[in-house]
Amino acid sequence: MAKEKDPFFVGWGKIPKDYKVFLISLTASIIAVFAILSYAISSTQSDPGDGALMGLTTAVGILQADPYPVLHVISSGRYQPGETIILSGGGKRGVVKRAAGFDGQVVRAAGVTMQRGDLNGMQLRSGKNGLRGDDTGADAFTVRVENLGRWRLTGEICDGKCLNGAMRPGRGLAHKACANLCLLGGVPPVFVSSAPVEGSEFLLMADANGKAVTEEILKFTATYVEIEGEVERRGELLIFKISPETIRLAQ
Amino acid sequence: MALSLLTMATWYIYAGGAVAAVFLTIGLGRLDENASDAWIFRPLLIPGVLLIWPLVLWRWRVLHRGENKLDRHRMPRAAQDRIALAFVCAIPLIIGIALISRQNPDALAPPVLLEAAK
Repeated sequence: MAKEKDPFFVGWGKIPKDYKVFLISLTASIIAVFAILSYAISSTQSDPGDGALMGLTTAVGILQADPYPVLHVISSGRYQPGETIILSGGGKRGVVKRAAGFDGQVVRAAGVTMQRGDLNGMQLRSGKNGLRGDDTGADAFTVRVENLGRWRLTGEICDGKCLNGAMRPGRGLAHKACANLCLLGGVPPVFVSSAPVEGSEFLLMADANGKAVTEEILKFTATYVEIEGEVERRGELLIFKISPETIRLAQ
Repeated sequence: MALSLLTMATWYIYAGGAVAAVFLTIGLGRLDENASDAWIFRPLLIPGVLLIWPLVLWRWRVLHRGENKLDRHRMPRAAQDRIALAFVCAIPLIIGIALISRQNPDALAPPVLLEAAK
């Protein structure tokens, strides 16, 4: 019988001699190519940063509802007095409605803490367990407000929850849809500057009047943009009161 | 733009729902005698019909007219090699263009103070 030149090969059978070299070479090549490709592609991605969830905590402080809810800490087991915390809710939701009734009041906030660099965040627990008025007589203080002038900043518009550690990565094009859903849900937008402005690279965004600015910025999230606006320090947090008509893509 | 796409996709799915309702209750039993009086499995086909309902309508029409000659794969088969080659070229090309044209975070302008606080 003539030698079979093109033997039929099935996976559970013995590999025909003629195929052995070819199959081993092919398998090794595929593994090598995909290893190189995965390294090459992943090495082009930005570092997701050090944002992370840090466990449950409670803080008493002064709530400021505009442009988005933040807490200026009076006392807390975790935060120093005077630190400012950006507040968000569960999932892709903010706490604008929950916070509206407490504007300027001393409240007790409880939830999961998030931190990225000098940016503090808290995902509040639901209902009164997460946010309620505080009647323990905590010493309220006047939140320091300082105008830092008009700036042109280059950087990225992110949602303040994912950026802070709820997602990794919480910024960049791959995260754009998530960022927009979070912003639409009321999560505070945060501008990440290309370099620190007066000591911080993170700025809570607002419109020129210091109100919410979500609708105007949705088109520009997750890309590098240039924006002009007034920068204001409130407590420990910088507020970037933008002029939406000045937003344009960087580079 | 995104809203228009979303609206079109929504209406596409609605149309798929209408096709699924008619095809899975009336058409399927007529086309395949093995499916006659068999109902339990039909809801499982709904997601698929929602997505490929134009293909379902076309096959329904062909089979209803008795035009099925089992040659429906001929065209894709003939083009398969060329399509595979096109993908092999297109995928690295797309990745390459994306990497070249994306914004460079290292080249961003620093903050500029336009007007000091008064």
